[in-house]
Amino acid sequence: MVALARQLDTSFVDGSSCEKIEATMVRVKSRYLLCEINVSDRRELLKLDDRAVAGTVKAAVARTHGDYGAALCSIRFCVKYLNAHTGIVFLRFPKGCYKLLWSALPFITSIECRGQIIPCFLNCLHVGGTIRTCQKFLIRYNTQQLHRMLPKCKNEEEKRQIQKAILSFSLTGGGNKALEDELESEEEDGE
Amino acid sequence: KMRAGAEEAESSGYQRVVLKNASPHQYLKSDLPPRVLEDESARVSAIDLKTFITSCLRSLFGEVGAALNVDVLKYDEETLTALLRVPSRGLVKLWSSLTLQGFYQNRVCAFRVLQVSPFLLALTGNSRDLQLD
Repeated sequence: MVALARQLDTSFVDGSSCEKIEATMVRVKSRYLLCEINVSDRRELLKLDDRAVAGTVKAAVARTHGDYGAALCSIRFCVKYLNAHTGIVFLRFPKGCYKLLWSALPFITSIECRGQIIPCFLNCLHVGGTIRTCQKFLIRYNTQQLHRMLPKCKNEEEKRQIQKAILSFSLTGGGNKALEDELESEEEDGE
Repeated sequence: KMRAGAEEAESSGYQRVVLKNASPHQYLKSDLPPRVLEDESARVSAIDLKTFITSCLRSLFGEVGAALNVDVLKYDEETLTALLRVPSRGLVKLWSSLTLQGFYQNRVCAFRVLQVSPFLLALTGNSRDLQLD
């Protein structure tokens, strides 16, 4: 969308001789909320899917803010990313009303998925303007979590695995996935 | 411009004071016209009215809207006229939820808002009902 705006700008500048016509497109802006779903039992997380989370958020907003909130939520809301292993979810809201919809998230006490009710609560970690900034934050956050888990390691092999995961971070999908698997195996061994 | 106005005020002995959002409450005089309620013998008490207003707010604005501090200051059961008080920030919410409410216990009804003012004294007089004899 931004590239198209730049193209429009340059074509108008070339066409007219002296004036530059302002033809910039106004960009549609959203806010991405990075939330973490906390459950008491980690195995319950694997049953989640994004449609269940979306339905739960819409129901909570309708309960807390009524028809007005439900209408705001239907414009540009969706669950952009859900990681069932770590419980990280990206929610997208329109920029004009994201604070109102954010205020309804603490009222979520359980998520219903395929007939099962999973008690949980949502913890918002970061608000970003794009998915990219949220991903950068997520990488930094996961690094901090792994650093915190390093002293609690039981044997040398886990230590080496964590250190390798920390060193291999990058913005591409590869590093992220590696550390998430690491996170999951750590937690399961820790229990 | 302001100075000219002040000089004019001093000369004529009349002073105009403008307050911006000075009043914490807004007062609303509203009416449920009896002819609109199909069942003429329905008695709506003050408590019924309060719960009705809260349910209107809840349907449009949810739990947060229902938590708005609406007070029924005066209520006349015969003419179903009510005097409501609401914090200034909640006036738009209250008014819009009263407007959009079409049913009272499965009966068609329509709230009519007669007067709105930040000052209670202003609701005592109404130029529409003024009789000039």
